Amino acid sequence: MKDFISVSPLKILEQTSRRGLGPGNLGVLIARAGVGKTACLIHIALDRIFRGEKLIHVSLEEGPEKVSAYYNVIYNDLLKALNHSDDDEYRMRIDRNRMILAYLNQSFELDRLEANLKNLAERLDFRPNTIIIDGLDFEKAGRDMLEGLRKTGRAFGADIWLSALSHRHITETNERGIPHPCAAIDDLLSIVIQLVPEPSGVFLRLLKDHDKPGDPNINVRLDPNTFLALD
Amino acid sequence: MKNEIRNLRNIGISAHIDSGKTTLTERILFYTNRIFAIHEVKGKDGVGATMDSMELERERGITITSAATHCEWKRHKINIIDTPGHVDFTIEVERALRVMDGAILILCSVGGVQSQSITVDRQIKRYEVPRIAFINKCDRSGADPYKVVGQLREKLSQNAVLMQIPIGLESKFEGVVDLVSMKALYFEGPSGEIIREDEIPDHLMDEALARREELLDAASMFSDDLMEAIFEEAVTEELIFDAVRKGTISRLLTPVFLGSAYKNIGVQLVLDAINRYLPDPAETPNIALDLDRDEEEITLEADPEKPMVAIAFKLEVTPYGQLTYLRVYQGAIKKGDGLVITRTGRKIKVGRLVRMHADQMEDLTFASAGDIVALFGVDCSSGDTFTDGKLNVSMSSMFVPEPVISITITPEDNKSQNNMSKALGRFTREDPTFRSHVDSESGETIISGMGELHLEVYVERMKREFKASVETGVPQVAYREAITCQAPFDYIHKKQTGGSGQFGRVGGFMEPSEEGEYEFINAIKGGAIPTEYIPAVDKGLQSCLTKGKLIGFPVLGMKITVNDGKSHSVDSSEMAFTQAAKGAFRQAYMKAKPVVLEPIMKVSVEGPSEFQGNVMGSINQRRGMIISNTEDGADSTIEAEVPLAEMFGYATALRSLTQGKAEFTMEFSKYAKLPESLSEELISNAKENSKGGGKS
Repeated sequence: MKDFISVSPLKILEQTSRRGLGPGNLGVLIARAGVGKTACLIHIALDRIFRGEKLIHVSLEEGPEKVSAYYNVIYNDLLKALNHSDDDEYRMRIDRNRMILAYLNQSFELDRLEANLKNLAERLDFRPNTIIIDGLDFEKAGRDMLEGLRKTGRAFGADIWLSALSHRHITETNERGIPHPCAAIDDLLSIVIQLVPEPSGVFLRLLKDHDKPGDPNINVRLDPNTFLALD
Repeated sequence: MKNEIRNLRNIGISAHIDSGKTTLTERILFYTNRIFAIHEVKGKDGVGATMDSMELERERGITITSAATHCEWKRHKINIIDTPGHVDFTIEVERALRVMDGAILILCSVGGVQSQSITVDRQIKRYEVPRIAFINKCDRSGADPYKVVGQLREKLSQNAVLMQIPIGLESKFEGVVDLVSMKALYFEGPSGEIIREDEIPDHLMDEALARREELLDAASMFSDDLMEAIFEEAVTEELIFDAVRKGTISRLLTPVFLGSAYKNIGVQLVLDAINRYLPDPAETPNIALDLDRDEEEITLEADPEKPMVAIAFKLEVTPYGQLTYLRVYQGAIKKGDGLVITRTGRKIKVGRLVRMHADQMEDLTFASAGDIVALFGVDCSSGDTFTDGKLNVSMSSMFVPEPVISITITPEDNKSQNNMSKALGRFTREDPTFRSHVDSESGETIISGMGELHLEVYVERMKREFKASVETGVPQVAYREAITCQAPFDYIHKKQTGGSGQFGRVGGFMEPSEEGEYEFINAIKGGAIPTEYIPAVDKGLQSCLTKGKLIGFPVLGMKITVNDGKSHSVDSSEMAFTQAAKGAFRQAYMKAKPVVLEPIMKVSVEGPSEFQGNVMGSINQRRGMIISNTEDGADSTIEAEVPLAEMFGYATALRSLTQGKAEFTMEFSKYAKLPESLSEELISNAKENSKGGGKS
């Protein structure tokens, strides 16, 4: 899967100042419901997995079966786009390098996540390079939760990617151009990417690139059905 | 007659182990006057619940075989099959569902939707059985029926809707508010047999109104009349009943009832719900395969006037002889009728026709479409189709999983030897997932099944019911072999020992099959092997698959292409080509780099989150791979893939690691390559055994 990046929405990260997020940092994908946040997070996950890194996918809304099914759909789309045939080796890599942690019915707490990460490290020697957190309610989570997550990321040496849900009716941004729900906490975030649906496809726009504001010229157009990069 | 079918219900009771299936059934039998006192599953009176009729079941407090029973409630006849909850006995659950028109899914209000509930739900879906749900044990500490309804929606993707709300919970659980009649119902009298209707307590009114709104919203999707009535504020109970019934039968709605069978709360309302919402036999489409028309599907009608079709779904040995449970799908059976078993063509005469009530019976002279009855002394197998000879049809076959574990059994004395044979003959006919055979090399008897407990129970039953004491060996995993690369063959079988000789040459190659099944490709051109000998080549090759050359286990997933060969006008024969094919297989097999495969189980461990670390450690030690962990409330569920060989004794280990608070289920997932070091050990053991003349 060396040519993976050519069709992956991750292309946008290649253009950031540090060519990625970096351990202990938080990155956020902001979009309205149904625009493709989870798909883009899974692309980030698959990229890490195929590089031989360990990944934890934290889901706050769906059970593991649905998350796993979503990975399969995106994996198959990738194979098709790259004209690869299915390979047991790839599948095994996904199974061995990915761990799904689901927290259903509001059972997600920072302490619980830390306890789970500790168990995985001590009992299974599973130490993630990247943690993906899908479905965190930014409006309820507040500053403390994000600060805590950053601390956890640093303690475990992992970068953390999150999805954040925006709303059609809240259009204001802060002075740095960061929209709701990240406007008040963007100092804690290292990379902010917005997914914007437009008639010609879904655009990924880089709004924050570590200590610099995002470059409006950096964007990637995605196929709205497969969320694979078009250009 | 039509009315009789309309008032008939065939239902199964399925659930996770220990969620109270047998306790609920016991109450149902009591309220329908089939029994006159309630005995608890592990009750102090030592009688045991009525449905757990086998001695062993009573002792262990679990239901092993499903017992069919019959009762009547408000002018409806109900046949109930009480099914076991442990995953090792899943074939019983599957068989029960096969012949049921509706099911009650029982859930524990504390444990909620557990892994076994998910397995059972999968089976209910496979057989397209409409269901209602009963959330039991609302009197237990930690009871939260609202959480369980949420889980039904999230984990099982069901459109679950509450028909009742609880009045109090845990030790204060008193009764339920019926959201259709909007009345509070309390269960009084020594066994809850008196239902007192009252006004809804003030503090529950808002909740009841909100939940009724949800119920009406969900039900109105299935009835325009109800939708209209909601707008006109003219909703009647009948309109709700009708809409919920349509939703339930179409399997798009799951009405949820609440109670505590143990405390005698809510059971009569479940009986009302069976009558009201689950389908009668005429409303359930059933398909048979017409053997005279290339297995064309025909729909059976629950009409007693049509030709008779029935299926034997369970065999049972009773002190009076063998009992065969039948579900009649079409037509009728009378005492004295002649029936034909489709599979064997054998004719039998209906001697005694009975209706079962746990281990008691009632003699009948007549049974018609939709009925569940039993015949005496019929020699048949489970799953056989019976007709009156007017049709040559077979009911679609039941899904039977392959066994994954084997043990050797050795009788302790001569008497046990005879009894053991009888027992094995009986068990293999009763349960298609239980197999037995004698190993041709070691001469040992080997039994195979779906798990340790499955086999343990049969060994116990041998002792108790057949007086056959046996010693058991170490459990043996059902390994497989598979090749990993392509290898050519070109083999000549030639024998000349006076008279006509034997000659056949077979050329081609073998390669791994992507589909995982045996595939034979005939690529012979120009008659190098005459067409009439091709089946013999195929047969010879297939015969080699039953015993691989590495460790003697069956070979999986192989594609063999035969593209060359030679025959002799006098000396070639089917036998010569079968032998040539066997030789070709032997020649190529080791060159195709075979490996040993082991069964991998999907294991799910549920328990309090505090033990998560211990559980993870225990799975890791067993060469397991953890796939996910789900946190929900105070509990966590770990899903993992673990080799079966490492799972022996896991129940005991898990108990001690989690103070008995966690439980696990497992089912076969796939075959995967055995690690090199273990594989070498197995191969060298197999070599040792074969050197020693096959005796282990």
